[in-house]
Amino acid sequence: MIPELMIALSVGAALFGVGLYGALSQTNLVMIIMGVELILAAALVNLVAFWRYLHPDVTAAKMFVLIVMAVMAVEMAVGFGIAIARFRSRGSVEMEEARELKG
Amino acid sequence: MNLGPTLFLTFFGIAAIWFGIVVFRTHSMVRSAIALLFSQTAIGAMFLVMQAEFLGVLQIMMMATEMSVMAIFMVMFMMDPGGMGKMDMTHQKRLSLWAGGVGLAAALAVIWTAGWQGPVPDVPGADEQARELGRELLGRSMFIFESAALMILTAMIAATMVAIAPQEEDTQ
Repeated sequence: MIPELMIALSVGAALFGVGLYGALSQTNLVMIIMGVELILAAALVNLVAFWRYLHPDVTAAKMFVLIVMAVMAVEMAVGFGIAIARFRSRGSVEMEEARELKG
Repeated sequence: MNLGPTLFLTFFGIAAIWFGIVVFRTHSMVRSAIALLFSQTAIGAMFLVMQAEFLGVLQIMMMATEMSVMAIFMVMFMMDPGGMGKMDMTHQKRLSLWAGGVGLAAALAVIWTAGWQGPVPDVPGADEQARELGRELLGRSMFIFESAALMILTAMIAATMVAIAPQEEDTQ
């Protein structure tokens, strides 16, 4: 058993749970983006913990971290792009008022 | 077990979770953005404790910028960014709590029953790690690295195009 790994992974699991709650429960687009950011942060914690405590000699593990960080930045940029377009056309970023987007 | 790193890991882990919860508990959206910044910074500090110095510093710097931008957007878009009106901006709370709780319980069950085996290998020094990462980025993983760059460029163009106000000739 590796206690440090268990702690880090448990923190990742808790962040995932909180992020999932936030992404599902919030009605504001920016708050939903915050929930998704927390879920991705949980993935980051897990990746770094696996690298550190199981395979510190594998540098490719850090590549995954950089890719997830890039995904976080991209998710925020596109999310805010959509938020601006939505705010301009409807004057609000409340997702309760975006039912027409439902397929 | 090394007591110092374990204690710091626990402390920063609890801080990250606590500020993550604060994000969705406060009525003020600006406070939410700042709480998320603290949560991400605590995660960066966890990386530093796990001897991933480069990634830790990168995480803290990136998230500080990202969350500042987020706070600005909050003020721009929110009807009540200060949270003075105590508006409730949540829906399907029970379902969300269940989903979050089940996700957390499932992940914890996997973590605590997986039986990770020690011993923990030694980590190379920070300078050696940076050198190895540089070699990885410009060697074996170059294609992935370039793909990420292309992805960011595409997202920048897409986000700008979506955000630009429609011109009169576009609507005709």
